[in-house]
This record gives sequence, structure tokens and C-alpha cells, in this order.
Amino acid sequence: MREITLTDMERLGAFDEAERTFQMTEEAFRSFYELTARPVRVYLVRMTGDDRLADDLLQETYYRFLRANVAFSSDDHRRNYLFRIATNLVHDHRRKPFMEVPAAAIAEVPDAAAAAQAAERAARRLDLHRAMERLKPRERSMLWLAYAQGWSHEEIASAIGVKTASMKAMLHRARQRLVALLKNGERS
Amino acid sequence: MSAYDCPREQDVVNAVLGGRWPDRCDESLVAHAASCLSCREVAQVSMLLHEDVDHARIDVIVPAAGQIWWRAAVRARLESTHAAARPMTWMHGITGAIVIGAMLALVTAVWPMIPELMSTIRTIGKDYLPSSEVASALAGGLRQSLLIGSIAAVLLILTPLALYFVLSDD
Repeated sequence: MREITLTDMERLGAFDEAERTFQMTEEAFRSFYELTARPVRVYLVRMTGDDRLADDLLQETYYRFLRANVAFSSDDHRRNYLFRIATNLVHDHRRKPFMEVPAAAIAEVPDAAAAAQAAERAARRLDLHRAMERLKPRERSMLWLAYAQGWSHEEIASAIGVKTASMKAMLHRARQRLVALLKNGERS
Repeated sequence: MSAYDCPREQDVVNAVLGGRWPDRCDESLVAHAASCLSCREVAQVSMLLHEDVDHARIDVIVPAAGQIWWRAAVRARLESTHAAARPMTWMHGITGAIVIGAMLALVTAVWPMIPELMSTIRTIGKDYLPSSEVASALAGGLRQSLLIGSIAAVLLILTPLALYFVLSDD
């Protein structure tokens, strides 16, 4: 049998404390985390452009979520609340521009046709990143939540803290700006 | 329908995010998008972002749930400890302030009595000591000792308090 160390004792103490202050059990958290961690991490990376910062914000997002004293009416409500925390954290770290231009993701490909397809996809992503980089942080968040996460206007408005009525117009403008930037990117 | 959106936009987004766009979704939706500028833009943007998410998800590495939970638990514990210690720190501060105040009040009350005490000592000294010079020297010495004693007492109380506040984390 493994010897119980001081670290183990401390760990037990910390978990006891956590059970009192966190809004869900560790088991429930694990399930929720498995469902949400990847989308949240991708969102944070895309919004901050910094892997390390995204990792820190991921930890902070879940910490704030666990300590939130909110009664969730549904799984969607819980997930939206998580993204709302992430969005607020991103907006608090607006100092950096959007993202580093990723290395062209043309990995080893089996043949020329696949290589051409991969190159085309990588070029499209690069154009998208460059265009998104030129948008305002709030516009990026709106577009991502609407068109990468599929959220409704109400959900996005709630997450970024604007009125639903204004949301439609703001999203429309952001989308038009992105499309225009993408077109300019193609031309250049 | 407002100038800003089309009621079928969400259907387009759902079809794209569900991987059904454009081949495996309602033909009428595809036909509608071909003639609706708003839906066409939505489809374009959504496809690009969806592709980006798909690509990013392949590479994304997230910490284990247990690690996130453990770190959060440790942090929660630390914050709880700090929160619990905060009233104690305030109590210590208030106690220190009361002690200093009481001491100052005592010194203020006693201070006017010192010359009187000195003259009493001098009078007694005249009766018992051989000369008035010796008596006044003794009184002067006593006054100096009292002053040094007061300063030492103040330092004895203030130094630990100052050290406590300087060295305490919170």
C-alpha cells in the first residue's frame, strides 16, 4: 500500500474545502469539462491569439464558474454562462491583437491532390485569421459565438452584455465587415 | 424580416455546424440562400469558422479535468483561508490602536503631575539629603529616567505591532 504523504493530506483538505464552495461535485464537473473544455479552449485561443494566455484563462474561466453562485436552469444555460465568463476574461485581456498568424498547416499529405486541398484550406484559414485580426474584440466574439458555436442572438447578447435588439444590428455589421475584409484579402 | 437578418439564418448556421451544408440539407434552404444575400453571407462566414474550429480541435490539448479541479480547489482553499483571517487582522489592528490610544491618554494624564512629583521629591530631599544640590540632581536624574522609560515603553509596544503589520501577508 502506498504511504500517505503530507501532500495527500493537503489534497484531501483542499477537496473538502472545494466541496463546500464549488457549485458542483467533482464527478459532475468532469462530465461538464469533457463536453466544454475543447470549445472553450479553441475560443480562447482564437480570441486572444496566445496559447499560454488561453491556458491561464481556461483555468480562470472554470475557477470562476465553479465558484459562481448561480442556479442554472438547463445545460445550455450552464454552457452559456461558462462562455460568458470566458468572453469577459478575454475582454479584460484586450491588450494583445487577435492572433499570431499560424504556421501554414500543410502537414504530410499522401498525394498531390490532397496536398493542394490542404494548402487551399490552410490559405482560407490564414485569410480568415487575418480578417478576424482586424475586427474589434467584441465583433470577433459575436461572430465566433454566432457562427462557430451556433448561438442565438439572445444567448450572444447575454454573454457579451448587450441588448438583444442591438445584437442583430451589431452582428450584421460585424459579418459584413468580415466578408468585406475577406474579399479584400482575396483581391490582395 | 428586419434589414439586419433573415429568419432562415439560424437554419443555415445549424446546417453548416451540423455538417449538412450544402449537400445533405433541405434543398429549399440552399435555394433560398442562393437568392438571399444575408443567408449567403451567413453560410460563407459560418463555413469558414466551422472549418477553423474543426481544424483547431484536432490540435487542441486541454489540461485534464482533475488538474483543473485540483488547482481550483487549492485556490479556493487559499482564498477561504485569507477571507477567514481578514477579521482577525482587523481585530489585531483595532486592538493595537486601542493600546496606543490608552497609553497616550495615560501619558497625557500623568504628565502634569510630574513637576509636582519632582517638587515633592525635592522637598523631601531637603529634609533628608545633605544638601539642596544633591536633591535637585536626584530630581533631574529621575525626570530623565522617566522620559527614557516612557520612550522605551512606547517602543516596546509599537515595535511588535509594526513588525506584525509589515510581515503579515494580508
